[in-house]
Amino acid sequence: MTKQNLPLYLVKKIFVFLFSVFLLSVVVFYISRLAPGDPLVSYYGDRVEKMSSAERIQAENKLGLNDPVYVQYVRWLGNALHGDFGISYKYKMNVTEVIKGRIGNTLLLGGTGFLLIFLLALFLGILCAWKEDKLVDQIICKIGTISSCIPEFWLSLVLILIFAVNLKWLPSSGAYAIGKANDIGERILHLILPLTIVVTSHLWYYAYMIRNKLLEEVRADYVLLAKSKGLKKSSVMYKHCLRNILPSYFGLMAISVPHILGGTYIVETVFSYPGIGTLSYESARYKDYNLVMLLCILSGVLVILCNMIAQAINEKIDPRVKSGDSDI
Amino acid sequence: MSALLEIKNLSISFFTPKGEIQAVRDVSFSLQPGEVLAVVGESGCGKSVMCKGIMRLLCSSAKIKTGSIFVNGVDITSYKERDMHKLRGKLFSMIFQDPMTSLNPAMTIGSQIAEAVKVHQPKISKKDLDQRVIELMTLVGIDHPKERKKLYPYHFSGGMRQRSVMAIALAGNPQILFADEPTTSLDVTIQAQILDLLRKIQKTLGTAAVFVTHDLGVAAKAADRIAVMYAGKIVEIGTTEEIFYGPRHPYTWGLMQALPAFSKGRDELRTIPGMPPNLISPPKGDAFACRNEYALAIDYEQAPPMFPITDTHYAATWLLDERAPKINVPVIRLPDAPASPKAEETMKSKAAKGTKEVLLDVQHLCHTFPISKKSSIKAVDDVSFQICQGEIFGLVGESGSGKSTIARCIMNIYSPQSGRILYKGIDTCDKKAFRENKKMLQRERALIFQDSASSLNGRMKVGDIIAEPMKIQHITPPRGTYRKEAEFQMHYVGLDKDYLEQYPTELSGGQRQRVAIARALSMEPKLLVADEPVASLDVSIQAQIINLFKHLQKEHGFSFLFISHDLAMVEFLCDRVGVMYHGKLVEEAPVKELFENPQHPYTKALLSAIPIPDPQKERRTVY
Repeated sequence: MTKQNLPLYLVKKIFVFLFSVFLLSVVVFYISRLAPGDPLVSYYGDRVEKMSSAERIQAENKLGLNDPVYVQYVRWLGNALHGDFGISYKYKMNVTEVIKGRIGNTLLLGGTGFLLIFLLALFLGILCAWKEDKLVDQIICKIGTISSCIPEFWLSLVLILIFAVNLKWLPSSGAYAIGKANDIGERILHLILPLTIVVTSHLWYYAYMIRNKLLEEVRADYVLLAKSKGLKKSSVMYKHCLRNILPSYFGLMAISVPHILGGTYIVETVFSYPGIGTLSYESARYKDYNLVMLLCILSGVLVILCNMIAQAINEKIDPRVKSGDSDI
Repeated sequence: MSALLEIKNLSISFFTPKGEIQAVRDVSFSLQPGEVLAVVGESGCGKSVMCKGIMRLLCSSAKIKTGSIFVNGVDITSYKERDMHKLRGKLFSMIFQDPMTSLNPAMTIGSQIAEAVKVHQPKISKKDLDQRVIELMTLVGIDHPKERKKLYPYHFSGGMRQRSVMAIALAGNPQILFADEPTTSLDVTIQAQILDLLRKIQKTLGTAAVFVTHDLGVAAKAADRIAVMYAGKIVEIGTTEEIFYGPRHPYTWGLMQALPAFSKGRDELRTIPGMPPNLISPPKGDAFACRNEYALAIDYEQAPPMFPITDTHYAATWLLDERAPKINVPVIRLPDAPASPKAEETMKSKAAKGTKEVLLDVQHLCHTFPISKKSSIKAVDDVSFQICQGEIFGLVGESGSGKSTIARCIMNIYSPQSGRILYKGIDTCDKKAFRENKKMLQRERALIFQDSASSLNGRMKVGDIIAEPMKIQHITPPRGTYRKEAEFQMHYVGLDKDYLEQYPTELSGGQRQRVAIARALSMEPKLLVADEPVASLDVSIQAQIINLFKHLQKEHGFSFLFISHDLAMVEFLCDRVGVMYHGKLVEEAPVKELFENPQHPYTKALLSAIPIPDPQKERRTVY
């Protein structure tokens, strides 16, 4: 890709992006209405059971739930384009407000988790490749295999049992103790267990990938030439091998953002951590349509963006693609 | 003069789960400053393991078992990695076989050379470094170094990459240069250029060199002394003249006789029967005994010591023992006289046969590959030729000259932009005609690829591979079952039927190529197209395969399009030859005419670039 057609490239990408988001919203909108359950329950709570059928119809009309689905969708889309995503049935607040209050927690958990995974995987991968088939490598690979087999929720429960219930070192749930919302120490303390779960459940896969990619490079012929130049093992490893795999690693990590985010959703639910994950779970359960929509679209935007970034990185990796010519 | 490098009783083994592979066994030699030693032998004889072992570039499963390596009188055998990396590049450096993979694809050529300079002069200034890089690139004959150093390896051709690798190897002014088959993967003309360059640089810088090669022609051209290796041992060592004019070891005789140049006028190429032994459990006694027609009883019992012949010439064979019976040493001399009358006769009879009927008629074939929307490469440019029934047509030229593209067009893998390919009068490029005759065309034309490792499915057993074409074409096997048919084909190409149950990866390169041939022949094709079928094989195996082709062709009578860059093979095998140059067919003639009286300047260049396995002639042509 040359610089002249960069605007065209961007326009193309933006169009693809918008179209994907639109499709996503249509699909989510229809599917959420297909699922069984009663949205009135989340709005009126237990009162729904005592309602007469006339009252029900009135309530449904009020929320616009009696119109055909496509009418509902068009109405929702019109409002959404003006920045109005509707109110949450459960919280009786604008959905954007509801999400605003929670998203920080998720970003904290997911963001630190992602960074930790990224750096630790790099470190462990290099360590394993360096000490290939030595004891350290074998131990790390074994631990990785075992911990990848353990489901996140089970590990979460076991850790809660050990560190929160028996040892009482760490809190078992929430993001902070009541009234201590601004206490950083308190926040960190609450973050330790969920973060451990997020990191341990994803770390090994990436570490293993780095190890194998590095070893593949180490066995490449050019490494022999680099060595015969007189370069030290470390120079060969960092200046040649690592440098050659890093771009593809970045690409992979970009794709894996949503993957790791999905992991945090489960962890949040188990630890009752007040983030987007618990919110999504609740909203889906209580048929809080507007909230479900916005949450799904937010996640979707993130997934699509990350994929696009990954794609862009991958296109950039090969110097051949960059310079726009190739020799057959 | 003290030796620059002295190897004493060096043994290197790989410790694998299958057992200890004794790759190098008890090797001793020395190298004087400025001297060039060529190490020759079949693949798997431990040549490159020895070189990499000396530089300590082998993987961790390889260990130096015994012996010592002295450099300028210092024993470096017990040096650890942190001492070794200081020696590499400065004391010795290495050029590898495949320039396509030995450069880092993601770094510019300039920065890779600069890195090699910087290792030994960490404090060099940016300006001096640039200067030195350009100097090195000029030294190895890369034009426009200032612009070229900013390019990536993929911009470079094979020869240019090998030059870059040489620049890197020479960056630290090494005293010894190891060259591991430096020209094997290059074209004949490029090979000659690189060899001349290596020789020139080696002379001007006074660098000593160890040349690993399986091509005796290359050795004759480049080396002062030659060591012949077999099964991890040096079996004969001497000056180039001694080895070429007075070889004493039967293995050396075999190697030399296997060269097509020595078989001029013969019906068959001489080969060494069998394969190099498995080095997990090397045979007792002389490892070469079972392939040696001159083997004595003692060869199977006891390994022969090195017998001195002159001060510089040693050979390890019991034939040199004073108690050994006198044998008639085979005369190995390049035939100066033209081919014997008998051979000429056979050639004529073939030509007479060839006038029969045109089987394949390629008319004005053009094929281009698009590079981008705007530009494209003309891979094949207006090529026309005919192949008659029962004729062997050779197509030669350097890589990138469009040979393979023609083969693929003929086999309907590519559809050409223009031109016609008539097979038995049917235009195979015409979609309708092709569809109507699809069955027949698929049955009667077969293709053999260069790289048997990737052209055979690694997950299929050999027996299934051979029977697959018949299954696809729903042919009832003439010998009852598919298995029987596969067995028959295996036998036909000279493979044991035990291999039927094995996977291609378990076979050697030569055996795999035989399987590929068996697969192609199982349909009893009328036209066989072979795209560089022997290029990736050893000299002695090449000779075996070429003999097999010749033999099979005689028996089956199929027409054969043989694509190769090895002119000697083509001369031996083919009836007519076409020379390709930049997508054009520049010359086409009966084989004898072409070799005796080449018309096109490119053909002349190609013919003169063939390394001749005769040191005197070779030196005469160069200096």
